[in-house]
Amino acid sequence: MIVNAELFVNDLPGQLIGSIEPISMVNGNILGVVHNRDRIVDNRICVNVTFEVGDRQLERLKELWKARDIVISSLGSVHETFTMHYILIGDVNAQYIEGLLKKVNEATTLDQINVSYSSKSVKTASHTSLITVKARYEDNLDKIDSILRRECKKANITYIRGV
Amino acid sequence: MRAFICGFGTIGQSVARVIKEKQDFFSKRYGETLTLVGALDSKTYISDPNGLDADAIIKAKKETGKVGNKDYKDIKDALESVDFEILIEVTSTNIETGGAGLENIRYALENGKDVVTANKGPLALKFKELTDLADKHDRYLLFEGTVGGAMPIINLNKYDLAGQKIKSIRGIFNGTCNYILTKMDDGQPFEQALKEAQQQGYAETDPTNDVEGYDSACKVVILANSIFGRNATLDDVEITGITSINSDAVALAQNNGMVIRLIGEVSPTKLEVAPRLIPRGHPLSLPGTLNTAEIITEYAGPITVSGVGAGGLETASAILSDIIDIMDERIGD
Repeated sequence: MIVNAELFVNDLPGQLIGSIEPISMVNGNILGVVHNRDRIVDNRICVNVTFEVGDRQLERLKELWKARDIVISSLGSVHETFTMHYILIGDVNAQYIEGLLKKVNEATTLDQINVSYSSKSVKTASHTSLITVKARYEDNLDKIDSILRRECKKANITYIRGV
Repeated sequence: MRAFICGFGTIGQSVARVIKEKQDFFSKRYGETLTLVGALDSKTYISDPNGLDADAIIKAKKETGKVGNKDYKDIKDALESVDFEILIEVTSTNIETGGAGLENIRYALENGKDVVTANKGPLALKFKELTDLADKHDRYLLFEGTVGGAMPIINLNKYDLAGQKIKSIRGIFNGTCNYILTKMDDGQPFEQALKEAQQQGYAETDPTNDVEGYDSACKVVILANSIFGRNATLDDVEITGITSINSDAVALAQNNGMVIRLIGEVSPTKLEVAPRLIPRGHPLSLPGTLNTAEIITEYAGPITVSGVGAGGLETASAILSDIIDIMDERIGD
């Protein structure tokens, strides 16, 4: 899993290394470290670190940090998301899009959906809309593509998807 | 070796010119020349066992509209008038019936000629029949010029990427549509961009094959069959053209850092031609009349090639590579 941790370490030499060393000790892979010297709380400096680690190693890592007097301010998993854009051209008013997205949501889990409409076409019968989705798994995009493709074909709507 | 050119329009004339210009190359590589012994257009033909003067027949075609002074009704009359080993088939494309090109290729293969073609129609419609015919008669049927004009793609996969699994190919295979969509990026409506493409000579008077995606679909079929070993025809391709793309869609894409391009996609499970949203800066976001292809390979990852997708000399360059391929095999380099 990918994890992001916000740590506070004593403002002393060697503390930054001391905070990231335990990640290596649990066979973690450090993806990024930000040493934020502007954020000081109780004479402790903020270190934000993102790393990959096995699920079972997380508890041991927390113990290692505590043993080194490192304060864990926040700890959360970070997951990769896959973004895809779709443009629909035709009789695609807000109501239609709402119904379409309901079908998509019933079939798969989406992290985020944004819909925007062309400002020019809102007064005409033909509308153009852009749907942007973020999904946690790439397979979900295939499901969405399949649903949108089928529904657009049924409604004679031009369907343009990203790559 | 001796060659006969079927079709003497822009591409046929360019091939004649290239063969003439490359005589030294052929002599050095093979110790013999490639002699152009015959040429035909839709109504007339000319042949000479001692070789034709490319400049003279190009001049005659330009001045009279005819390549030769002998009329023919049956293709046999022309092709049997002289002995030759390589038929270069560059008659105009007919994607409904295969047109004269299909008959010419069949006749040549059945009569022991190797064939080089840039004609998409016969291969999009009868790929398996023609390749089986070539195998049966132990002849070569090469067609690099059918996809992407000057852009090397079939031989690239056949030789340079040999042995690797090709996961997918997607690309811009129609310069006319790409020109229109690029003009739409600049704010022109579809109809105006199409008219401009016609005025510039990029689009035919009847642009249906281009803008409805049929031309790209032919190339998708040829790639599917030649690279993925499929047995596909045009009916197997899911085709969406660009005629319903409006300025609003182009603007929405642009506002989100993307452009719309007509993309052909081939994989072991997919055959599709459709407008797609491409992030600006992506290799497939190429503007203008260029063709491009992104090949996803087993070991080398993505490989992108691009080049001029049409034009006489550009297509002749692909035909030349196929001729050399045949001469390498028949004579040895």
